[in-house]
Amino acid sequence: MDAVERANQERAKKWTKEAKIGEGTYAVVYRGREAATGAPVAIKKIKVGQFKDGLDMSAVREVQYLRELSHPNVIKLLDVYSSKANLNLVLEFLDSDLEAVIKDRSNVFLPADIKSWMAMTLRGLEFCHRNWILHRDLKPNNLLIGANGELKLADFGLARDCADPGSKLTSQVITRWYRPPELLFGARFYSSAVDIWSVGCIFAELMLRTPYLPGESDMDQLKTIFRALGTPSEEDWPGHTSLPNYVTLDHFPKSPLKLLFTAASADALDLLGKLLIYEPLRRISAKDALHHPYFFALPYPTHPSKLPKTTVPMAPRELQEEANGLGDRTVTKPGRSLKRKASDGGGPERVARSAARRLEF
Amino acid sequence: MVTAIPSAVPNDAFSASPSHSPYEASTQHKHWRYSRTALDEQRASLNSAAVHVIRNAFEIDDPGSSNAISFLSPADEYLLVKLYISKVGQLCAHFHMPEVVEATACSYIRRFYLRNTVMDWHPKNVMLTAIFLASKTTNHPIPLEQYASHIPNTTPSDVLDLEFLVAQSLGFEFVVWHAHRALWGIYLDTQTLPDISFHTIHDAYIASVAHVRASRLSDAELIYTPSQIALACFHIAAPVLAEQWAKAKGESDVISLLPAISDMILQEGKPPDLERVREIDKRLKICKNPEKVVGTKAYLKKQAEEEAKAKEKREKKAAEIRALEDARDPFGGELDPEGAAKIERAKQLDEDDD
Repeated sequence: MDAVERANQERAKKWTKEAKIGEGTYAVVYRGREAATGAPVAIKKIKVGQFKDGLDMSAVREVQYLRELSHPNVIKLLDVYSSKANLNLVLEFLDSDLEAVIKDRSNVFLPADIKSWMAMTLRGLEFCHRNWILHRDLKPNNLLIGANGELKLADFGLARDCADPGSKLTSQVITRWYRPPELLFGARFYSSAVDIWSVGCIFAELMLRTPYLPGESDMDQLKTIFRALGTPSEEDWPGHTSLPNYVTLDHFPKSPLKLLFTAASADALDLLGKLLIYEPLRRISAKDALHHPYFFALPYPTHPSKLPKTTVPMAPRELQEEANGLGDRTVTKPGRSLKRKASDGGGPERVARSAARRLEF
Repeated sequence: MVTAIPSAVPNDAFSASPSHSPYEASTQHKHWRYSRTALDEQRASLNSAAVHVIRNAFEIDDPGSSNAISFLSPADEYLLVKLYISKVGQLCAHFHMPEVVEATACSYIRRFYLRNTVMDWHPKNVMLTAIFLASKTTNHPIPLEQYASHIPNTTPSDVLDLEFLVAQSLGFEFVVWHAHRALWGIYLDTQTLPDISFHTIHDAYIASVAHVRASRLSDAELIYTPSQIALACFHIAAPVLAEQWAKAKGESDVISLLPAISDMILQEGKPPDLERVREIDKRLKICKNPEKVVGTKAYLKKQAEEEAKAKEKREKKAAEIRALEDARDPFGGELDPEGAAKIERAKQLDEDDD
């Protein structure tokens, strides 16, 4: 037997699967344990054999970024091994997620609790951005919560690096309700600011206990945003009218956030406003957000172990129609010319919509 | 130490952990760095283990037959691998793939042969798979059919069959930090130095790019950091400018390291002599592992062993479920929910890995 295959089997033996906790067409998730210690883990088995292009892009992304990232607020990829034609990702086991906690009506959130979740989310995100990685699917459902109350960013199936400012990206990312206006207008060059908008939506949801901007279609999403925050003027967001999918929409007036978020402190509203600035370049960064006075004012964030939890067991995650199974591909066409492209990633990205379904975990 | 992408990483980004750059947290820094000696030892031990296995396989096929075979030496293996690394650029250019795909594929091949031997897996096939995998991991995927159809005598399954093995051999560590990116950072940085014309800088950059490409044919990336290699290449092209940059960065110490890197790039950074490689490839046809050659006795024996093992596993699982069913209350699920649940669990368990 080859050394590589032997090493793989050694790794596989370190983990045992106990029960299936979720299934999709692309992956099955098991609750499992580390054989030596009995410590609980989650094992995500990705069916590889069925893809005609081999290892699936979202699996590749998840593995490649989680392999590099190590931070208390980012889910840990403990191991990777293969079994037959399947890829097994051994992940830290976390029993709940922020969506379940928000939905549990028996929970009462104190302002300090919200501050704690926000701090953990932004710390994890700042770390990703510092490593030039965009998450591109932040939502309460992807913020997992451990038994000790710690929050961790999970599901990196849509993540990608953003170190090269010239590369064209797909605008078909981020679950609609958390998607920023520049993506809804079809922007193909964007930055870490897209994740920040999602964090703004999550912040608002934590205060409202219901999704803040629940649009019913992409078009309706823009309307929902503008109804809540006012239609942007050229001054608010220079150049937005020249984005690829720009459409003129009804003019909604701006109204102060205070009207809806009646219980929020002035600091909280100021941070929320900065997370939801229309112009991506002026939207606050994760790092600056962590230095915002909100985090230094009383009440201080609740210790993770004292945060509200949910007793409702985490339901197997629903399967979502993935907007872009292939994500941002630059489909390269063969040709006779031996000329190289001028820069990395300068090619056109084809946004391919695929029917591939993805298991959210 | 010089950081990996000098200008792309502002200093304040380190404020949270001043002693570690993002590069130092990378899997490349943690798992793919060697000293010259360690690298040579790794290749030598891989080679002798492979020869041992293959000798035995030959003996199974035909006792006494292994004596006449001239096995490849570690140096032979390395030359063959190097030849195929030197061909990556051509193929990537044909598909208009950007430089990051080419550089990543080269690293994948180099890393693959720190875990495998050419006597098991021929570098031609590994090269094709490495490029295909690199196109995905760098966000420039190409449909497999299209890829394979443009390469003579290659079917999609030739590429796909090795994908898993390559991914495994890389430890699923797909992210590679490249010298050409670091060089781009130096290029941008030098433009902020006073009193240097853009032409001087640009000419130096263009000359350095050629050296960075040559460096991919050397072991430099397994021994030095991408930024060190980039600076060495820049130093070959424009020594004064390179030293000025290092001084401006407060990294003058690094200059003393550069000659060793430059020597390595200038000496090793060219494709191997084709005649030599042809001779090696000829010998490889004879000494490749018969377990990997369809139809040989060694191959059939290995297949049979694997099939027997899989069968044993399946039977074991079926027996377990039967035992549970026997132990269960015969009057059915509702009266014995625990037993039913146990059986359900056993059935659900992943048959891939009991």
